[in-house]
Amino acid sequence: MQLKQTPLIGLSIGVVLVALLPVLSMGQRTRRPAPARPARVAIDYSRFSHATAKHQAACSTCHKIPTSNWQKVSAFPDITDFPAHSACVSCHRSQFFKGVRPVICSVCHSRTSPRDDDRLDFRRPAVLLQFTIEFPHDKHQDVIAFNRSRSVVAFSHAARNVMDQGYYNCVLCHSERTSLPAAPAKGWTDGFVPAAATFKASPVNHSSCFNCHWKEQQPVAQNCNGCHKLAKPYSNVEAPARISMKFIHDGGGEKKNHVAECTTCHINITKAASLRGLKPDVPITACTECHNKDGLRLDVSKELMAIDKDRSFTCTYCHTSDVGKLDPPASHYLIAERPPLKRKDVK
Amino acid sequence: MTRSFIPVARLAIIVILLGGLLLTATVTTGLSQDSDRPTGVLRLRVRVKTDDAAPLKGLARKRFFLIRGSLEQNLELVHAIEQSTLVSRDCYYSKLGASDQLIAWLKIGDCESIYCRDVGEEFISGPKAVPEFTRAFNAGQKEFGNDQTAIKWLSTNVPANLRDGFYQSRQAFLQSILNRARSSSDTQVKSVMTDSNGTAYFTDLEPGPYVLSSIVPTELGTNSVVWNCEVQVKTGDLATEKPYLVSNRKDKNVKCLAAERRLPTCEK
Repeated sequence: MQLKQTPLIGLSIGVVLVALLPVLSMGQRTRRPAPARPARVAIDYSRFSHATAKHQAACSTCHKIPTSNWQKVSAFPDITDFPAHSACVSCHRSQFFKGVRPVICSVCHSRTSPRDDDRLDFRRPAVLLQFTIEFPHDKHQDVIAFNRSRSVVAFSHAARNVMDQGYYNCVLCHSERTSLPAAPAKGWTDGFVPAAATFKASPVNHSSCFNCHWKEQQPVAQNCNGCHKLAKPYSNVEAPARISMKFIHDGGGEKKNHVAECTTCHINITKAASLRGLKPDVPITACTECHNKDGLRLDVSKELMAIDKDRSFTCTYCHTSDVGKLDPPASHYLIAERPPLKRKDVK
Repeated sequence: MTRSFIPVARLAIIVILLGGLLLTATVTTGLSQDSDRPTGVLRLRVRVKTDDAAPLKGLARKRFFLIRGSLEQNLELVHAIEQSTLVSRDCYYSKLGASDQLIAWLKIGDCESIYCRDVGEEFISGPKAVPEFTRAFNAGQKEFGNDQTAIKWLSTNVPANLRDGFYQSRQAFLQSILNRARSSSDTQVKSVMTDSNGTAYFTDLEPGPYVLSSIVPTELGTNSVVWNCEVQVKTGDLATEKPYLVSNRKDKNVKCLAAERRLPTCEK
């Protein structure tokens, strides 16, 4: 009996399912329309991306450190050349032997010809950067710190003296600039071209890192990922964002008097564990110890009083007009011992 | 079935969207409140004496930590800091068998590690030569093929324990304390380092009690000093006001006094 009924039940369920199939599939379509199959995008083999999944093996799979030619082109052991053919050809054999001038060659070579091995500059300056840099200021400041108290370590003029004595401080990496950074895309505000000494230099190559992190001291030269993190391709912005464009780090004003340690003004740098979101963080009190003292100078108060008389007055002692025409922040009024005021409220 | 599904699906989507909007609004409001929350600033001024005859001077490049909660709430932590038996720098290096010249080189510069100051040529050869540096230089010459890189990259050929072992051993203690502090106070521990005048700023502080601590002892003359003090941060505390004085000498203005111990004698 049961044996006879089983096919019947199965048949009934089948009939019901078949009947419901169009309805169910309609529901399916209503819920989630089938995605259109994306058009196949042709791969541009003239561009190399570290973001490609298959390009994310250990860095040393392709990059040899130091490269064999370092003594010809560098003062120190470094990565000074593109990886050898073997790094690419194991996967890209078909692209390597495609036509007389394979496109893939142009990633590294200035001429795409099997008879010519001229290479582009490494790394290619015109190509977007693919990595950001991790740098913990706090750790580095700790390791060059002293065991005990020692007097006067200063930046600017005094710092150079300290470096002359051989004691390390921020100047180790941030020396005085000898040339101006590239102008901002829109040009210098008000046509005010700052002096080179306005800014501090920053490390531009591995020489500032490898002298300690060559081997053993992690992240070592072989451990690229210890410092370089994959990012969305970007252009390096050299022009620094400055609020007080007229402040000269190594000029020290008319009297050459900016004698202080970097961290005296950049008060938050010693807690910075990363470069992400790092801001210069100079409080107005760092300036007004000298620039807004009764009997000394009243540079801030004078300009605040000028706004009292003319709400459209532009502060120019420290700032260019992009900043100087804004409402002064409450901190400026505070050190002038006045209640904060908006320009629109000036009568 | 399909007809009934569509309204149900629509209803579900609407509910999800509304829920998402509500959540976003809550988070956004929370964030905006967060950025507008009242905070305070703590300006430290650390001035110390190595002995009674010496003048008070700013303690440069010393890291201080701010741990959330009162002294009572952090009692175990403070106890662990005060009871630490960290070896002194001179003892550490002499126990490792470092040369007298290296110990003297570190001592002259008051350095914790060889990264503290430049190793000039006079320390490679000649009467001031430090054997560890000479050996590292010779190894560098072979490795890099030129004297300039050999001297500039000298630290890469100094054995790790002699290079920065003392600093690393203190870091290990520091990290163990910080891990305990973070697990007990459930907030990030803030830290700053003093400048050349012994001044440092803690900014963006939520009001309330904190423990100001140096965690790692500082060697001052023949003593080892460590600070653990309770600080009350109020909203509107500003850096322009009087600094919070930290010292190893009692004074009416000093708000945080160090616990001082004699440095232990080295075990040979």
